[in-house]
Amino acid sequence: MKFEKKIIGKYILVIGLFFLTFYLLEKILSGFWLTLFLLFGINVILAISLNIINGWIGFFSIGHGGIMLVGAYVAAFLTLPTSFKKGIINLHLPAFILNIQIPLLPALLIGGIFGTITGIILVLPAIRLRGFYFCAGTLGFNIIMTTLAENLPNITNGAMGLRGFPAYTNIWWVWGIAIFLIYITLMLKKSYIGRAFISIGKDQCLAEHMGINLLKYKIYAFGISAFFTSIGAILWVHLILNLFPAAFSLTFVFTVVTMIVIGGMGSVSGSIIGAAIVTLFTDTLAPLEEGFSFLGFQVPQALGLTTILLGILLIVVLIKKPEGIMGEREIFHKLFKEKIN
Amino acid sequence: MSYFIQQVLNALGWGSVIALLAAGYTMTFGIIGLVNFAYGEVFMIGAFAAYFAVTVFNLPFWVGILASLIGAIVIGLAIERIAFKPVRGSGMITLFITSLGASIIVKNLSIMLFDDSLKNFKVPNFYSGVYLLGDIIVFKKSILIFLITITLGIMLVYLVKNTKLGIAMRGISYDSKISETLGVNTERIIIITFIIASFLGGIAGILWGMLFGSVKASMGAIPVVDAFIASVIGGVGNVFGAIVSGYILAIGSSLFIAYLPSELVGLKPLFVWVVFFIILIFKPSGLFRANIK
Repeated sequence: MKFEKKIIGKYILVIGLFFLTFYLLEKILSGFWLTLFLLFGINVILAISLNIINGWIGFFSIGHGGIMLVGAYVAAFLTLPTSFKKGIINLHLPAFILNIQIPLLPALLIGGIFGTITGIILVLPAIRLRGFYFCAGTLGFNIIMTTLAENLPNITNGAMGLRGFPAYTNIWWVWGIAIFLIYITLMLKKSYIGRAFISIGKDQCLAEHMGINLLKYKIYAFGISAFFTSIGAILWVHLILNLFPAAFSLTFVFTVVTMIVIGGMGSVSGSIIGAAIVTLFTDTLAPLEEGFSFLGFQVPQALGLTTILLGILLIVVLIKKPEGIMGEREIFHKLFKEKIN
Repeated sequence: MSYFIQQVLNALGWGSVIALLAAGYTMTFGIIGLVNFAYGEVFMIGAFAAYFAVTVFNLPFWVGILASLIGAIVIGLAIERIAFKPVRGSGMITLFITSLGASIIVKNLSIMLFDDSLKNFKVPNFYSGVYLLGDIIVFKKSILIFLITITLGIMLVYLVKNTKLGIAMRGISYDSKISETLGVNTERIIIITFIIASFLGGIAGILWGMLFGSVKASMGAIPVVDAFIASVIGGVGNVFGAIVSGYILAIGSSLFIAYLPSELVGLKPLFVWVVFFIILIFKPSGLFRANIK
């Protein structure tokens, strides 16, 4: 009895701290720093959900952009103002979609479900293809989805993209979901399902011999990953406030891949650290791309500078420390060990 | 029928570019298991070197060819030295990610320096003009490009099959440790492979410039994907297979577009990926027997 009380006390303490911290952060942060903090949260969601596939299951996917695209477009149809949807002549959607505008939570869930279905399509190459070929196949998936989105103007408004989103994203949505995801992935890592994922990543044949149903656990892993990836994408869209087919192209996915490679494949806390580093890196260096004058010198405009530096960072990490900052370890290891016992 | 033949003939130029790139791809792929995603950038730098020599500095065309080859080989070897050599042996996926990183670095750097607009590529005079066969139009340039590609392809197949160098390459692709004990200088052979691959990339860059009359900084993105798929379809390490499947892919996607309603023309990139998935699911070893490996 005494033991349980201790745990409940700890939970209440953690939840109280969470609300207090984010209440204060919402009051303090504004403008650039608020956007940076929100992007950090979204990147945490994207990195952790990509890590479920790339780090645990051991299939290196660079096709999550396709999943993001599906989730984001489905949610976009639901949350866009009806006046905007009716204003585009190209758009031929069913009438009930044109006439509704729903709040963020149901849009997140519906978008997430469609994203999950798309993610489960990615299981098909994962049955047959191994290692590098899966990687190439997911690259193809990404390119196929982007091309379809560009060339079906009746559904997606083509390369013109969609604008006029309501600014739904705030600290509570982003960090609430991010902390929920961190919690469930840390719990998952200790559970039977999570251990099954990791053992598939270590040795697929051996895992099958140990009685793990490969197909079932691959579907679970891709489902969870795709669900949270599309939620991250939907939050991103409602922060940036526009959506076009090239938004989630290879460059975007490359950024997320950089996060998990820097942080350590297979580590949740590594993903968080990687997301923090990459977000800070790209968003604080972004003003440099516009060109500025420094001590009388006019530094010219340099578009794509952050991407170049990110690529250099990735190569340096892969050469000097291929396992990333955290490897497969966790920071919160001790904190959570007690609760599970 | 003449429409069909016309489409096939139109695809020959593009097919030659893909075939040369696929041949270069398949050599590095076969020998060190490297899927060089940065190869598109080698190709792009080759085309740009020729563009600068011929259009900007007004030098004769053969200087442009020389500049293109030197540019491509320098950038290819630099990428090998910086991005691939330190991580060699740590698995295909790591190599693939570093090559992706290298590709993104070089591409963004050249977009930053030269911006991403189309640049006019000057071509010599002897080279324009058409032949008319009934109601079929044959461009002189496609015939020239096709002949260049076929000649290079025959030389390459001979090199890999019959020369000492080719035998050493195949030996490394079977087992680099054993080849080393038998007296093959692995390091040297790998560098020579990269030089040959970059050479092909540079030639393909010039051919692209001659074919379309323009170059741009992001031009490597689509051919590199097509060439990679062609090298997989041709059987990894099989130079002959890569060249043939380069042509198959180009002709196939040309026909795919020709018989599609005009508003769906943008779906062209889908064709190669559909072929890729079909091949990998039903015949993962490729259409032709793997030659090197």
